[in-house]
Order: sequence, then structure tokens, then C-alpha cells
Amino acid sequence: MKDTIVASATPLARAGAVGIVKMSGENALELAKKVFSATSLTWESVEPNKMYLGEFSSGEIKDKAFCVYYKAPKSYTGEDVIEIQAHGGISLIKGIIRELVKLGARPAEPGEFTKRAYLNGKMNLAEAEGVQELINAEGELAVKQAYRLMDGELSRGIELAKAEILTADVNLESVLDYPEELTDDLSEPTINALNNARTRLIDIYNGSKNQHFITEGVTLAIAGLPNVGKSSLMNALMHEERAIVTDIAGTTRDVLRESCTLRGLKINLTDTAGIRESDDTVEKIGVERAKKAIEGADIVLFLMDSATPETPEEIELYKEISTKKHLRVENKEDIKSFPRVADISIEAKTGKGIEELIDMMFDKLDIEKIATAVPLTSERHLHAVKTAIEAIESAIDNFYAVPIDCTSVDVKSAYRALAELTGEDVDENIVNEIFSRFCVGK
Amino acid sequence: MDKRYDAIVIGAGHAGAEAAYILAKLNKKTLLLSLSLEAVAFMACNPNIGGTGKGHLVKEIDALGGIMGEIADLATIQTRMLNLGNGPAVHSLRAQVDKNLYHRAMKARLEDTKNLTILEGEAKEILIEEGKVVGVVTGMGDTYSARAVVIATGVYLNSRIITGDYVKDVGPAGFMRSSLLTDNLLALGLDIRRFKTGTPPRVLSSSIDYDVMETQNGDIGNPTFSMLTEGDVRNDKACYLTYTNEETHRIIIENLDKAPMYNGVIQGTGPRYCPSIETKVMRFQDKDRHQIFVEPEGADTYEMYIQGLSTSMPYDVQERMLHSIKGLEHAKITRYGYAIEYDCLNPLELNASLAIKKYEGLYSAGQINGSSGYEEAGAQGIIAGINASRYLDNLPPFIIRRDLAYIGVLIDDLVTKGTNEPYRMMTSRAEHRLFLRQDNADLRLTEIGRELGTVDDERYARFLERKAQIKEIEDILDKRFSIESVKEVCELRGETLPKSAISAREFLKRNYLTAEDLCKISEEFDAKDKRALKYVEVELKYEGYLKKQAQAIKDAQRMEEKTLPKDLDYMSIDGLRIEARQKLDEVKPLTLAQASRISGVMPADITVLILYLRKNKL
Repeated sequence: MKDTIVASATPLARAGAVGIVKMSGENALELAKKVFSATSLTWESVEPNKMYLGEFSSGEIKDKAFCVYYKAPKSYTGEDVIEIQAHGGISLIKGIIRELVKLGARPAEPGEFTKRAYLNGKMNLAEAEGVQELINAEGELAVKQAYRLMDGELSRGIELAKAEILTADVNLESVLDYPEELTDDLSEPTINALNNARTRLIDIYNGSKNQHFITEGVTLAIAGLPNVGKSSLMNALMHEERAIVTDIAGTTRDVLRESCTLRGLKINLTDTAGIRESDDTVEKIGVERAKKAIEGADIVLFLMDSATPETPEEIELYKEISTKKHLRVENKEDIKSFPRVADISIEAKTGKGIEELIDMMFDKLDIEKIATAVPLTSERHLHAVKTAIEAIESAIDNFYAVPIDCTSVDVKSAYRALAELTGEDVDENIVNEIFSRFCVGK
Repeated sequence: MDKRYDAIVIGAGHAGAEAAYILAKLNKKTLLLSLSLEAVAFMACNPNIGGTGKGHLVKEIDALGGIMGEIADLATIQTRMLNLGNGPAVHSLRAQVDKNLYHRAMKARLEDTKNLTILEGEAKEILIEEGKVVGVVTGMGDTYSARAVVIATGVYLNSRIITGDYVKDVGPAGFMRSSLLTDNLLALGLDIRRFKTGTPPRVLSSSIDYDVMETQNGDIGNPTFSMLTEGDVRNDKACYLTYTNEETHRIIIENLDKAPMYNGVIQGTGPRYCPSIETKVMRFQDKDRHQIFVEPEGADTYEMYIQGLSTSMPYDVQERMLHSIKGLEHAKITRYGYAIEYDCLNPLELNASLAIKKYEGLYSAGQINGSSGYEEAGAQGIIAGINASRYLDNLPPFIIRRDLAYIGVLIDDLVTKGTNEPYRMMTSRAEHRLFLRQDNADLRLTEIGRELGTVDDERYARFLERKAQIKEIEDILDKRFSIESVKEVCELRGETLPKSAISAREFLKRNYLTAEDLCKISEEFDAKDKRALKYVEVELKYEGYLKKQAQAIKDAQRMEEKTLPKDLDYMSIDGLRIEARQKLDEVKPLTLAQASRISGVMPADITVLILYLRKNKL
């Protein structure tokens, strides 16, 4: 790329402590020479990847700044890249960019840095998408995952599956092209390879299906009869008083939605009004909402008061919950007189057993597996992997019923789906779509 | 003698014969030059035509109005359908062919073709004026004028044969070679390379013990290559199967220092797909035996072709190898195996019309383009002939797409990817394989041939008749059969019984029921044309898969239809890697899809290209 692009790499919206201006292209170094000087720096012998402290000076703008030179191709974009770090006042950063544009740089389009990185072979399509995920990521686990995407872990997982599919395809093709010479029966190794690919992809897919746990958080509902301590449990989880807690049954009239972060995972809490048939209109609305909340939850904590005996209502309520992913939690362990069949006993008010409860929840939701899974965070990825799985399953299911040339249609389409995902197969729409979603400066 | 022609074809092998025939058919006054008239359409290697992928090519040549299929049918002495167990798309017809008969029949046919003159002679120089072809000078110094030339020199260009340390500057089977033209091609600035191929020994039939070998007879009821062939072909000759063994392999390994392939005598690149026995033994050391097929060279000779034992080992090693094989212990060799090296063109010199890009009116076809095989040669021959004719008529070239024919795959592969070894057609090279079947070659191509002018009235009438036969069957597919009437055949085939009356359409869709089964239960269907019925069955049975593949073709279509400007200066497109710039500049692809198939051009380069085209509104 002949033209040199420039943009702020830090958000211009707020006045951050440090602002970074990034420049990429053939003339990046030439432009830097014109505007930046430091006593420790002679441009003729500038060391790449080294941070120089000096002064930015051009036109009206004059300020202390750092400058780093990344030499092509060992840079983000694969081109010569200059980074100038200055005090992050919006007007200063804008001024620096304005000066560089005056000298011949061009303001970057959204996503253009990453686009160049992709075009210069510095990252594949899936990795490029990782950058975007990173920009949009909320919560620590989500950030970690975006890094994994950017690092190409998705590509590696897909590559392994692709290799298996290729093995199967080569087997099929050699049988077709050498019917006389190749007399060994390759059915078994072919089926095995397909099964291996299928297992790999299903792992990737399932690990990804609940990725919204990581990216958007887990929706947790606490259900139970009135006054079993639901709000206390909610507070214990949140370490804060959010719901009104009294000893009068039915105090929590509405579903309160709050979110907190537990061990890096965003939790959207839904505290439900005690569910019981009620004539009180206000409470009735609350009860219905609560049922809906249970419906929409990723996991339900079914809370029981072990100080009071089990009632038919409790049994009735549990029936409704039992079809959902849930944990049976026995509260008020300190005054337990009527033990229940439970997964765990806690004291919501003192917080006793809460840590264990969180452990159990994470286990139940498979958070660790999902968080370390190769993330298929975009619809495009999910769709590609799903297409591949379906094609492989069709190949396996019909293996002995249809001739090999038909099986190979499925095997090839599985391969193609995955190749498209990693960008080996170019579709101009996909490429344009991906890069248009990037923010400037990346 | 008249020295003015529209077109001259250099070489009368399988490519040259097809090119000359089609040019003459398209009313071009054509001169066909051959080093020896005894070498016209000579089958220098294996005595068969067709096989996996190759049978498809012959069918396609026929569907376009070429002659290979007709002559092959005429000279067939055994016919087999390969891959019957592996699905309709890869059913591959293969015929054992009487070599002498094939040569004689083709020669007579060409001699009898209007507008065509055959002349024994060597081409020395292709005359070019202002970048355009104007004629050919022969070795004797005679000059013939023509505005179009098709080079089809096969393996005869500067060839030499090698058996052990015996190296001789001749063509195959003792025919003279072409020694004058290479210098001219080099002077024209063309990229000339050296390839190698080989052939096995031939053995006297009476010295072979067939009792210890497996006999392979022909199949009954096969279709023919040509839609013009009436009735069945001759099918009474047998082939035989035996195997090499550890002793054979030991002899080869012990004598490797004498093998020209391994001691440095042979420099040319040989084909991976048709390796010599020494290469097979060295490359597949874990295999304790390799197949050897013993095939008749013809019906008028006792010579047998030892397929699978291609070799350039010294004569005494060849004898010991042969005698170590079961059934060949006392085999008398009539001709020794040899390797042959020859000059050929880098096919990247061509575009998809088989025109040589540097000059106007200059085409090449067959083994000179880096392919191997009679069928691959014939397929290129007909396309080069058609396009030479279209050039003379000032018409745009006929580009045959990959999703339309194996011929399209073959040519696109050659001119886009180039090749570093003699290229052989294989079904796995065709991504649209399910569509590219033998049974629909005419439906894919004959209408196109009619438009091109290569399909004459007789062939076209046959084609329309076949289409009508298919339509007749399609019209009665909704006819229903009671459970009772299909019960017996379902039980016989192990197919589950339908729950209610079943239509002919549903019947044929069932995995384990066939068109033959349908004929058993229905006189109406039994009365229909059997091949048309088989075709309908295939279309129905694999409808789901055909649809999947149709979708893939559609997806690829957009890239296929995006043409690239001829004068695009790839070297100056920013963002393209240097390697990609050079490759694109060399190949000058006609479409974006072709560009994406060039090896060394990465997806990211295509992205750059897409963005560049859009930005410049090209």
C-alpha cells in the first residue's frame, strides 16, 4: 500500500491519560522524521520496537511525546508503522493527526489497519475478527477469549478438523480414481476420520453455543416460596443490599434485575418474588413475571427454607423448575430442622457456603470449558461449523447407502465451509462485511 | 501442389488428428503434417482408451462432434465399465483397442475428410509476421501459408528413448523424431521444458502362462463411446491379472544403479500417476506386490502389453524382472520397455482457448502442453481446432468452463496452474463431478457443439431423439404401483416395503431399487429406451446430491462470471504481494475465479484484487 494512513488508536471520546496516534504505510517513517525528534534518536540508525522520549513538533503543535517505530514486516499491519504517544487531550491528538495529514498521510477508514494486516498476510480472517471481538469485549473472560481468537486458536482447532476431513476425502478420491489398482477397503479409516472431525467440530460448536455466557453473561434466577431468603442470597452474591429484605412474606414484589461480576463472569441476577398463588394484584403480577424469569434463566437456584417443613406448594414449584438447569439450595443451615434433598446447604445471611455455591454454579454451567473453548463468537463462525457438522453427519449416515462420489459431495462441502471460515475461500461480501465493522485505529 | 491453407496442424497424433478433423469440419482448408504417415493416431503406449476420468473426456469429445469415440468403438476388442460400484458420476468406460486398427481407421477417416490434406513432412519453422501466424516451413524447405497453426507434436519434439545405458535420439516405437522445431519455438521466445514418460515391455502371447493368472473378460451391455455407433462393439478379447513379488522388487533394488531414473541419465520430470515400476517400488516400499495387467495389443497380433511394468532398466534386468512374475516365467520379450524424454511447452504460455498468448493464430494441443494420455490430447485437440477456426472467422474464442466438462477442468488446470509433470485427468480434479457424468455428456455439450458448427445433422438428430426418449419417461414418472406389485422386488433387493402405493419416481429414488427392477414390474417402462431410463434413474436417485452440488456451482458462479480486463497491469497494483503480481502477470487470468486458482496467489491477494477492481470501477 503506497498511501500512509493515520488514526487515533485510543478512543477520542474521553480525555484519557495517554493518547496514541498510529500511522501505517510506506511513508510512515519519512513522516515521523519530519515531526518527531529526540536527543537519544538519530533517524538514520533508529531501532525498531524501541520507545523514544522526545518532542512532537509540527505547525502549531508542540508537545512531549513518545515514538515507537515498528519496521515492516514485523508490525501489526505488516507495513512500516509509527506510534506516537502523547498526553491524551482530545484537541492535542486531533491536532497531531491534522498535522500528519497535512504532510501527506490519509485518515484511516474504519478497520483499515486490521484490513491491511489481513491483506498483508499478518492474520487470517478469523484472527481479524478476533480483533473486532476484542474491541467490543465486555468482562475479563470475554477479553481473554477475543485474544485467543486473535491468536489463531480457532484456526488451529479448525485446522485439525480440516486435516481429518482431508484424510477422508483423499481416501474416497483414491478409490474413485484407482478402481483397479486400489483394492484395499478404505471404508473404516474413512469413517474414523469423519467421526474424528465430527467430534472435534461438535466440541468446538458446543463450547461455543453457550458463548453468550462469557460475552453477555449468565442469567441467573433465584426461585423459591416466599420468605425462604431469596433476596438475602441475591445480596450475598452481590455483596450489596439491592433488594428490600424483611421478614414479611411477599416483600419482594417485583423481579429485580441486577448484574454483578463473579470471578470475571458477568451474572445477570433475577430475584423473583416468592412464587405462590396470590390474590394481591401487585404481587400477582410479580408472580407471573417470576415464572417468566425462571423460563428465561440459564440456571435457576431453587432455594428452600430448612427451618420450615416442606409444603405441597414447594413440591409443585420444584416440578416447574426441575426441567431447567438448576441447583437445589437449602438455606438457613444454622437453624435447620427439616433437611431436604439438596445439592448444597448455605446461610445466605452470613454468606456461609456462597463460595461453594458459586463453584457449583460454574461447574453446572460448564463455564471453565466454555471459557477455554475455541470461541466461535460470531454468527458466521457458528454457521460455518454447523454447516460442516451437518455435512459430515450426512456423509456418515449415508456412507453405506450411497456411492462414494455422493459421499464425497458432503465431505467436500464440509471442507469448504471450514475453508471459508479461515478465509481460504474468498467471498468478497464476507470480506467487506468484516472490515466495515471495525473501528478506526485498529 | 497448392501451398495455401487456412490452417496447418503440426503432428497427426491424437491431438493433431482431432484438431485437423474439426477444422476441416468447420470448413477450413486444413493441412495436417505428420513425420510419418504410419504414425497417424498411433497408440504408442497402452492399448486402451478411456478409464477413470479419461472415459469422460472421450464421451465429451464425441458430444462435441469429435472423432476419437467413433474410431475407438470401431477398434474396440474388449469393453469394461470401471467403478460400477462407486456411483454414477465415476462410471468410466474403458475399451481395449486394436492399435493397428485404430491407426488405420483414423488415417482412412482423415484421408476421406473434406477440406483436409494429409502430408508426410517435418515442420521446421512457424512463420510469424507482426505477431501473427502466416505459415509453416517444412524440413525440406517448402513453405505453406496459413493464418492459423496448431502445434501438436506429442512426444516427438527432440525426443530420445532410454533403456539402461542405451540412449537413442528417436521418437516412440522407432519412429523418427522432430528435431528442427524446438529451435524455432525457442527463437519465438516460448518457455520450453523437458518431460519424461515411459512404456513397459511387450511379450509374445504364446510364452505366457495364463492359467496361473486371473482372467478379466469384458462386460456385457456397456454403452459405446460414440452416440453414432450402432449396435454393440467387439468384446471377445480377455485381459489377465498377475502381480509382482518380493523377488521382482529385490531385482529392481539391486539394480537401481543401472536405472536411468535413478542414476542421473534421465533429467525429465515423469508423471506421478503413471510411474515406472522402479519408482513404484522405491516410493511404496511397504507394498509387497504391485498389480500387472497383461493386455492384447490388438486382434491381429500376438504381442501382449505388460501394463504396470513401465521401465527403463537395462534389457537383462527387464528380463529378470519379468521372469520373476507368476505366469511370465518364460515370457519372450518382443519389445523392451523404455523411457522417453521430450520437449514441451510450459502451458502457462497458453490461455484457456489454447492460444499461445504471445502470438495471434498460434495454438497448441496435446502432450506438448504438458499433459499425458491419448484422451487428454484429443480433448485439447478439438478445442484448439475449434478456436483456431473461430480465430480465422473473427469470432470470440470458445472457453469451456470447469462446471461444464472434464475438458474444461483439464484445460483450466493446465493454463492456470501449469504442471510440473505430465498431467493426467482424474475424476478428483473435477469439483463438479456429479454433474460431469458420461451419461449426460451429450446433454451438456451437444447443443453447444451444434451452435459451434461441429455437430452435424446426423448427430443432432440422434441427440434430439435421445432427449425425446428421456422426456417420454419423465412424463410417466407419476404412474403408481401397488404394494403388492413391488413386494417381490423389494424383498429381493432388501428394500423396505412402501406403506402405500408408490410412484415410479419414488421407486427409482430408493437406494436399493434400480431401473431394471422397475422394468420387471412394468411393461410400460420396460418398453422404453434402457439408457434413457438409466439416465432418469441417476438424476432421481442422486437428486439431493446434485442439488447440493448445483448450489456450490451457483456460489462459485459469481467469481466465474467476473471477467478481468485483458490489459490489467498487475505489476502496479498496490497491496498485491510480489509473487502474486508475477503469477497473475504470467497467467493473465480471464476471470476472478481463474485468478483464485493460480498456485501462489493467496486468498488475500484476491481480496486486494476485488477491492482494486471495485475502487477503479473495472
